[in-house]
Amino acid sequence: MLAHQGKSVEEVLNLLTQYENCKIIAGGTDLIIQMREKRISPAVLIDISSIQELKEIKVDGPFIEIGAAVTFTDIVESPIFEGNLSGLKKACRLVGSPQIRNAGTIGGNIVNASPAADSVPPLLCLNSILVFRSFRGIRQVKLEDYFKYKQKLQIKEDELLTAIRFRRPEGTLSFSKLGLRKALAISRISMAAMVKLDEEGTIKDIALASGALGKYPMREREVEEFLLGKQLDVNTVDEGLKILREATDKRLAGRSSYPYKRRAVERLFREVLSGVVA
Amino acid sequence: MVLNVVGKRVPRIDALSKVTGRAIYPQDIYMDNMAYGKTLRSEIAHGYVSLDTSEAEKIDGVLRIFTYKDVPKNEHGVVYKDHEVFISKKVRRVGDPLAFVVAENEKICDLALEKIKVTYEELEGVFDPVEAMKEDAPKVHDKSNVLYHFKIRKGNVEEAFKRCYAIVENTYKVHMVDHAFLQPEAGVAYVDEEGNIVVMVATQYPHYDREEIANALQVPVERVRVINTNVGGAFGAREDITLQIHLALAAKELKRPIKTVYSREESFLAHCKRHAMVMKYKTGADKDGKLLAMEAEIIGDTGAYASWAANVMRKAGVHATGPYYIPNVKVDSYAVYTNNPFAGAMRGFGATQVPIAHEQQMDMLAEKLGMDPVTIRLKNIFKKGSVTATGQVLTEGVPLEECLIKAIEGFTFNIKREEA
Amino acid sequence: MIDIRLTVNGKEYSLSIEEDKRLIDVLREDLGFIGVMEGCGEGECGACTVIMDGKTVNSCLVMGFQANGKNIITIEGLAKDGKLDPVQQAFIDVGAVQCGFCIPGAILSIRALLNENPKPTEEEIRESISGNLCRCTGYNKMLEAVERARRYENGA
Repeated sequence: MLAHQGKSVEEVLNLLTQYENCKIIAGGTDLIIQMREKRISPAVLIDISSIQELKEIKVDGPFIEIGAAVTFTDIVESPIFEGNLSGLKKACRLVGSPQIRNAGTIGGNIVNASPAADSVPPLLCLNSILVFRSFRGIRQVKLEDYFKYKQKLQIKEDELLTAIRFRRPEGTLSFSKLGLRKALAISRISMAAMVKLDEEGTIKDIALASGALGKYPMREREVEEFLLGKQLDVNTVDEGLKILREATDKRLAGRSSYPYKRRAVERLFREVLSGVVA
Repeated sequence: MVLNVVGKRVPRIDALSKVTGRAIYPQDIYMDNMAYGKTLRSEIAHGYVSLDTSEAEKIDGVLRIFTYKDVPKNEHGVVYKDHEVFISKKVRRVGDPLAFVVAENEKICDLALEKIKVTYEELEGVFDPVEAMKEDAPKVHDKSNVLYHFKIRKGNVEEAFKRCYAIVENTYKVHMVDHAFLQPEAGVAYVDEEGNIVVMVATQYPHYDREEIANALQVPVERVRVINTNVGGAFGAREDITLQIHLALAAKELKRPIKTVYSREESFLAHCKRHAMVMKYKTGADKDGKLLAMEAEIIGDTGAYASWAANVMRKAGVHATGPYYIPNVKVDSYAVYTNNPFAGAMRGFGATQVPIAHEQQMDMLAEKLGMDPVTIRLKNIFKKGSVTATGQVLTEGVPLEECLIKAIEGFTFNIKREEA
Repeated sequence: MIDIRLTVNGKEYSLSIEEDKRLIDVLREDLGFIGVMEGCGEGECGACTVIMDGKTVNSCLVMGFQANGKNIITIEGLAKDGKLDPVQQAFIDVGAVQCGFCIPGAILSIRALLNENPKPTEEEIRESISGNLCRCTGYNKMLEAVERARRYENGA
């Protein structure tokens, strides 16, 4: 195996075209375990964790761009995600342990994405765009589509995920996670919501996304459609929960974990929706 | 008399080396000319096995591959010698050691492990101890799977149950547990200038290890030295042999220091577990909540090997009543072989599992009698002078009643919990 | 082989390592820092914790070559001029040490916390050691040790 500690995006793209069977390593928290278990054996390992331009969080007018090698700790410590974006901060704070958050990156969480990747549901609610670069140019993909059409849209051999980009929302983002314990627990279920309410408490804008309630993290479109325009109150939430369960019944029926998840989802759904008001 | 230690806070003698990272665990030992060893383990739970090591032996850097043929007396075990150092014919669990590869470094060991051809002729296994007790169950050791039966008979339970006002009858199951000590097994063995075999290992029983090594290698005990390094947690799981004999054998034959460090996964495969148990209980009390009779059948799954099963299941039986006086008691506890991971010592040694059953029985009796769960316990709890089910008279140091009263002062049992 | 330069405990090292070596292997085998423990090899137990550029990481989940140019502190680097770090002294004094295998990692997690946040809340202390598993002593003694260490740092 060859190893390169990348110093710039250009250099990495060059290596990606030059060599076959390359693997990008950033935080290493998933990749090194995969290598150890011999699930992957790359010929070339390219480290991007020391490339400054991938480690920056940029605010560009209404847009926020998070570099792919930004760690979970960077997000937790950044003032940019205070206020209505604190749901993303919360999701990142609940990843693994301090050591994992100090190394693990947002880009890795997406590219390696397990159905339970904690940072993904909030980013889905923000209608995030992934920015891939290669010598062929820049490719932008909606995060939602990236999981939905994985076969077609997934990262190509010569590409590098450089950033995640989204528009600062008007509503409030919240996040909820159910793990077997607090630290180092992979989410059994996670949920994020972005809701904009008017003065009367009517839902003017909504995005709801779930993790580990399907093959990949996804937007819960049927629930969103139902909630839009309604008053955010107990009855609406009760009804919304029914619709969410109808959707998950279709996706998860027959899975051994589903009877548990079907019950547990109630608490998360209520929590995440009350989180947007707080 | 001046007391230098009693009543004073004395810092651990090894604390300084541990907070500075200088404490030596076996993984920290590096010797000149050291070779490394890795273990090949069975991937099936029950079946005949044969090995072809010829390809692996050809790999550059492989020094030797040890199998059962190299062990003068291929046995070990803390009470019953039912473990083989390396499996000669039949594997009885996933993780049984088949061979020990010694090479110049760990990478070569891994390569050689992959090149050993393992052929299995799989046999039907038995994984439920209740099933394993049946006559026609697959036999783990070519004899009855029931390894041990412990009985307590006190008074007459049949007669006493007739007099009971309330009886509760339930079956409780508890699963196996791993100790998960933080330092995976590791060791280094070498032959010293005088020709003694020295094994440096983190162990709970250096003296037992020494006997086991000497017996397996058929060398005088005086020729074996076991040096206990710092031990990174044990909790019972370092009472059985894991890598001690493998290392000693390799060092003796190759006359080089040999080092082995288990991964966390291998550690889980290599050492014992806490016994899973099936506990069938019948407990009866009179109208006032006085216990009159208890009958218990406790089946312990010892997996593929006995380890401390008899002792653990005896202890489970002795503690079956919990800390309560019961005039009529019938207990049958069993240790049963299955093809599961083997069970042995773990914190509590059999006394840890039974409270799941006897305490739940007390709560359910209390409920049936419309009684407070603390009151029913106080009515029956052991006091100074109480006689246990095995006839032991508790003559001193029985402050249970006081303890329970103190404990409930801190609880809020009677406050109805808010609906979660 | 790949050449790297890194600073460990204030001293600079230049060495040639195998590409597939993890940072923990470099620290233990090449540089002899045996206080870096390996408990699980997959970032669950935290025994291999080191401080890298001010932040704790599991050294079993960092490749050796990724540490090129980094500044690393291991447990061996905490004592200064023969005097223990207050956290080390406090661990001894309150009896937070039993088998010792988790201790270097736990101490480094707490050291990193106190470096950034000299007056942590109990919640913050608990969070700081949430990636360090202990199977003997438990965590309450470690909390007590942090309190004690802060007193030592304030000259008490």
